[in-house]
Amino acid sequence: MSLAFLVPLFLLGVAGIVVPIVVHLTRRQRRNVVHFPSLMFLEKIPFQEQRRRRVQHWLLLSLRALALVLVAAAFARPFVDQSEIGAGGALGPREVVVLVDQSYSMAIGDQLERAMERARRVFDGLGPLDRASLVAFSQGAHVVARSTSDRLRLRGALDTLQISSGATRYGPALKVAQTILEESNLPSGEVYLLSDFQRNGWTGDEGVRLPPGSRVIPVPLGGDEIVDNVMVTDVSLPRQAVAGRERITPTARIARRGGDAPREVAVVLEVDGQAIQSRSITLAPNTAAAVPFQPFTLSQPHTTGSIRLPDDALAADNAHHFVVSPGASLPVLIVEGGASSDVSLYLRGALDISDDGRFSVRTRRASSIRPVDVDGVSAVFLNDVQIDGASAEVIRGFVEGGGGAFIALSQNGGWPASAADLLPGSIGAMEDRVQGRGGRLGYIEYEHPVFEVFAGPRSGDFTGARFFRARRFTLSDSAAVLARFDDGSVALAELRHGRGKVLVWTTSLDAFWNDLALQPVYLPFVHRITEYLAGRAESMPWFVTGQVVDLANPEALLTAGLVSSEAAGLVDGLDQVALSPQGGSLPLPAGDGPRYLPLDEHGFYTVRQPGSDPARPFVIAVNVDLEESNLARIDPEELALQIEAPGAAPGAGPRLGEAMELRRADQERRQSLWRWLLVVALALFAAETVVSNWVSRRSAGAVGAVPG
Amino acid sequence: MSNPRTRTSSAGSQFLDPAVLGRIGNLELLARTVVDGFLTGLHRSPYLGFSVDFAEHRPYMPGDDIRRIDWRLFARTDRHYIKLFEADTNANFSVLLDLSASMSYGSHSLTKLDYARYLTACLTYFSSRQRDRVGLVTFDHEIVDYVPPSMKHLDTILHTLDKAKAGRPGSLAAPMLRITEMLGRKGILVIVSDFYEEPDAVLSAVGPLRARGHDVIVFHVMDPYELEFPFEEASGFEDLETGEQIPVIPTRLKADYIAMIGTHLEALAKRFKDNRIDYALLDTSKPLDTALFQYLLARERMSRTR
Repeated sequence: MSLAFLVPLFLLGVAGIVVPIVVHLTRRQRRNVVHFPSLMFLEKIPFQEQRRRRVQHWLLLSLRALALVLVAAAFARPFVDQSEIGAGGALGPREVVVLVDQSYSMAIGDQLERAMERARRVFDGLGPLDRASLVAFSQGAHVVARSTSDRLRLRGALDTLQISSGATRYGPALKVAQTILEESNLPSGEVYLLSDFQRNGWTGDEGVRLPPGSRVIPVPLGGDEIVDNVMVTDVSLPRQAVAGRERITPTARIARRGGDAPREVAVVLEVDGQAIQSRSITLAPNTAAAVPFQPFTLSQPHTTGSIRLPDDALAADNAHHFVVSPGASLPVLIVEGGASSDVSLYLRGALDISDDGRFSVRTRRASSIRPVDVDGVSAVFLNDVQIDGASAEVIRGFVEGGGGAFIALSQNGGWPASAADLLPGSIGAMEDRVQGRGGRLGYIEYEHPVFEVFAGPRSGDFTGARFFRARRFTLSDSAAVLARFDDGSVALAELRHGRGKVLVWTTSLDAFWNDLALQPVYLPFVHRITEYLAGRAESMPWFVTGQVVDLANPEALLTAGLVSSEAAGLVDGLDQVALSPQGGSLPLPAGDGPRYLPLDEHGFYTVRQPGSDPARPFVIAVNVDLEESNLARIDPEELALQIEAPGAAPGAGPRLGEAMELRRADQERRQSLWRWLLVVALALFAAETVVSNWVSRRSAGAVGAVPG
Repeated sequence: MSNPRTRTSSAGSQFLDPAVLGRIGNLELLARTVVDGFLTGLHRSPYLGFSVDFAEHRPYMPGDDIRRIDWRLFARTDRHYIKLFEADTNANFSVLLDLSASMSYGSHSLTKLDYARYLTACLTYFSSRQRDRVGLVTFDHEIVDYVPPSMKHLDTILHTLDKAKAGRPGSLAAPMLRITEMLGRKGILVIVSDFYEEPDAVLSAVGPLRARGHDVIVFHVMDPYELEFPFEEASGFEDLETGEQIPVIPTRLKADYIAMIGTHLEALAKRFKDNRIDYALLDTSKPLDTALFQYLLARERMSRTR
């Protein structure tokens, strides 16, 4: 901050102060000249020399000189140049974007407080023409204040920042900064990135590129010390049906990062807010351990549970929450032909095998199906049976109502032509694959819900199954193939009809035409197919912060663990409200569209309807993203280099000169110091007049006094 | 009864009043008027008595002219005495008149130069009546005009005085040295000047004339304003010789000035006296008789001392 002049040429007028000084020193008395014979004696009197060459009235001279200086300075248009405040002050008006990391790892120490203090200094250093934005980010980015020069507003927005439950993701925040800078008409841009710079937050392929003339100023806040952090990385909740009731045996996986000595850690299991068990383990640095708990009985829907650890430097990952509800068995109808009684032996066996008794199987040996047969059934298996047209219509109604039908074609399997549109294709003749060792499944749609659990390694092997015979199947246009044999023929096809779906398996489900039933993958395969047909999605005991749940989508609700709307006290068509873990209220108005609930906080979200007071509200457990617990850091300069435009010198735009001049003129106009200078100069001139008159009167009264 | 001297002086002073003299254009007429009136007024003055008569005897000293031995006294006393007579009236009389620019100053109708010219004319006329050889030297910082002493040069001197004008800076040293060289015969030298130089410088310039045996009479001509400094209004004072100008507040300077000029005059008088030089301060507002008396006293003293 320094004093500058808009028109410094007028400062030459300061030379005008020489005038009164010269007048004072050289002024001759305007009186009659007396011719005298000799000044021999007059010149010997020193008094005369002093009077002529000495300033006699310093006050008058000072007043006049100062008034002239002030007038000249006023014409030169002075102002206090505040351009150099801030790093890029000399580059013209700036568009400043301050990105503040509020991920939960910023809770370590006082990183967030330091980030806010640094941001406050940035805002204080803004020039008159600068604009600034404040963006808070973790997994997403939130513009708290956008492109404003109102420092008060910026500081107020800064005070609202607090630690979130999200993990660090630099991509969204930098995208927002890029957008703000691209929309700005200011010549230079600066992005202050205030973060602990975790490596997990940046992959390098976010596609962020700041516009030319912009630069990134990384402000690392984390220290170099390794934080001793213990966290709950996972919880397994296996169920077991005992005497008609479900028991859950939780096992928590505890990991420790950092530290330099073994440490004893107390692990507590809470159910419905009550600590029911506690375990103590000893963890060496950078190790992990599994902590099994005694089983507890699950009797109520939407039962909440938590695994808690003692507080440490990073508290957010010390608790792991989950929600479990007693499971309901899926009613399954198996319709089989009458030729053999063991045609569904493997299928029934597979459906009967489960710890929690999730399937309730009923078998009908007949070629006709009545509507009462499918009442309350979630899935129907037509195993090697040829049904009539009426039965097909019953199946049509069942499927359109949301049910699922699985048609296994085998020796006797068939479908009436009157309901051919219900099938994903047309059924052809048998084809044998007796050469060699038979056919295999050559293509599986692993992204389909039926097969997605087998996508990973060692999670199900279909390649060991051999297929010796199958029915030729010609796909219709609207059908989808989920699996093919190695010769390209269809093994499994699907057609969605109404709210339900129809799957056709072109070979048998027993061990006659293939040995799939003898493979280990047969059991989960049957289970996945049954659950898929019944429309049951896998219930998620917990979500991770950043995920969004559509409360208007039944499948999403089932995934979120909703047992039933009635049990949760939720009625369709009414406004709902979600209570966040920190007590916030999120209104969810009723409507035809989706009803999204963003899960931004870790803990338990409770969904209610106004006026309702159910004993067991619908609860969603949310845990933090454990990637944030990995505090490995990225080089801030490396990050900055990746997103800055190469070769673009900040502020090297053609508008810089005009912007600088505009900025100086604007500063001068706002300050208008010249007015004050002129006022002071006028006051000085008035004072000079008064003093001069007083001096003149005093000189006139004194004998021989000379004014000035 | 009134004092006859006072009366005659008063009557004579009417003709010697500088203001009256200023209206007489002819210097010869002026000088005759002054001198005749002056002599008439001094008719019965006890100071009048210069002649060629016997003055005194003194013992004969080797080297004296034996023709001046008084043989009658020798016959009576059997001792040789020299018979001294009154001063020789046929002496050289020269006036050294200062024409420096400062002499042109005058606070009333008469300037110092005018006053000096009248004085010079009167003295010259007077001396001429005494059958002295009269001469004139005018000078400023050098010799301006030189009229050698002669019985016939009265007119020339009066003419030279008539056309004399002051205008150039003055200095005593150079012209006095030159005059010392020019005047080989001893005589009476009258210096008329305002002596605006340091007393020591004045003496160093005038002293050699006295050392050459001249009878030196100095008339220090001053205007009354120079002596009294009666100025009141702050003014720019311009030096007549150098043109330099300074602002002066007379009321603040008057005391200092008068003190300084008094000291200057005293110093001059003392130094002239110490060198046996007759010194007279002349106020141009005063009548000329003071100067004439001063001159006559000097002549008388010279006559008696011969």
